[in-house]
Amino acid sequence: MKTFLILFLEFFKTGLFSVGGGYATIPFLYNMVSDYGWYTSQQLTDMIAVSIITPGPVGINMATFAGFQTTGITGAVIASIALVVPSYLIVLFVSKLLKEFHDNFYVKAVLAALKPAGCGLLTVVGINFFKDKITDIYSFILLLFLFVLSFKFHKNPLYYFVIAAFAGLLLHFCFPSFRF
Amino acid sequence: MKISIKDIYIQFFLLGLQLLGGGYVIIPLMKKYIIDEKKWITEEDLTEFYALSQSIPGIIAANISTFTGYKLRGKIGAAAALLGIISTPVISIILIATILDKLLKISFIQSIFWGVGIAVIILVYLSVKEMWTTSMTDKMSWVIFAGTIFLSLFLKISPATVIVIAVIFGLVWQIAAEKRKKE
Repeated sequence: MKTFLILFLEFFKTGLFSVGGGYATIPFLYNMVSDYGWYTSQQLTDMIAVSIITPGPVGINMATFAGFQTTGITGAVIASIALVVPSYLIVLFVSKLLKEFHDNFYVKAVLAALKPAGCGLLTVVGINFFKDKITDIYSFILLLFLFVLSFKFHKNPLYYFVIAAFAGLLLHFCFPSFRF
Repeated sequence: MKISIKDIYIQFFLLGLQLLGGGYVIIPLMKKYIIDEKKWITEEDLTEFYALSQSIPGIIAANISTFTGYKLRGKIGAAAALLGIISTPVISIILIATILDKLLKISFIQSIFWGVGIAVIILVYLSVKEMWTTSMTDKMSWVIFAGTIFLSLFLKISPATVIVIAVIFGLVWQIAAEKRKKE
């Protein structure tokens, strides 16, 4: 019971504090790795990748997945609902003062502070993932290769996933020393 | 004619089912189903909901759904739209998560996910780049960005606490700037 309550609060917080789309929730999901150990950093990137290519909003997919890792189906349902409860409350509040909302000084001020903070938090997660994953020459070369491709490709994640998956397979079968 | 709660739920469930690759895809889908087919809201509504959804916390797709549901049938409509949009993730992820656990025991699948995990770093980087253009607009945003990195990376302060500190700092900064302007 206590786990469910913590789960609800953690994902409520995630929904309340993340601004700027689904990826903005990743810092909060990463934080749960060290705080609760519900899943590992590797499992988190697995979840992110699967969430991106599964139907449904990416942010909700990721939360559902993370919830599932903690306590199965109940956890999945709790996490996805907890994530959107803040949306519900905020939208009801905003809808009442729709017109004034946009031009309000305090609303603008809070938003102007939230955006760079969200950007900073995501940068830190990127650095942490880098530290967790780029541990040998293989991973470094693959990262560099994908980075160079990102100048040519646009943000379609599928390109990167297909190439990276292929690279993993290639290493697996051609370099037995690479295997886990 | 009153739009039924069940209808709202079903429409948003179908919307979620076709949503692939990020929340922004919801816009063309909503245009097709909610505006052109159902005529529940107008294009102006959608533009406004989208703008608002980006400027409040939370998942953008969830915010837009809630705004639309609220417009259609108030609080219950908002809840129905929201439940509709989260139904697809709940069902699809539970199915996939169950299978994935078994798949990951196979060693070449692990190798695939080793590669995909590195691709996730690039996607995070691209996402930061995208947020960067809308976030870093003045001196204050640079200070907050640098402060966030310091608090989170070096002092290991939790993201929620960092956000609260950033908001308080931002408010104080801007109120002070506003005062200076008036004087």
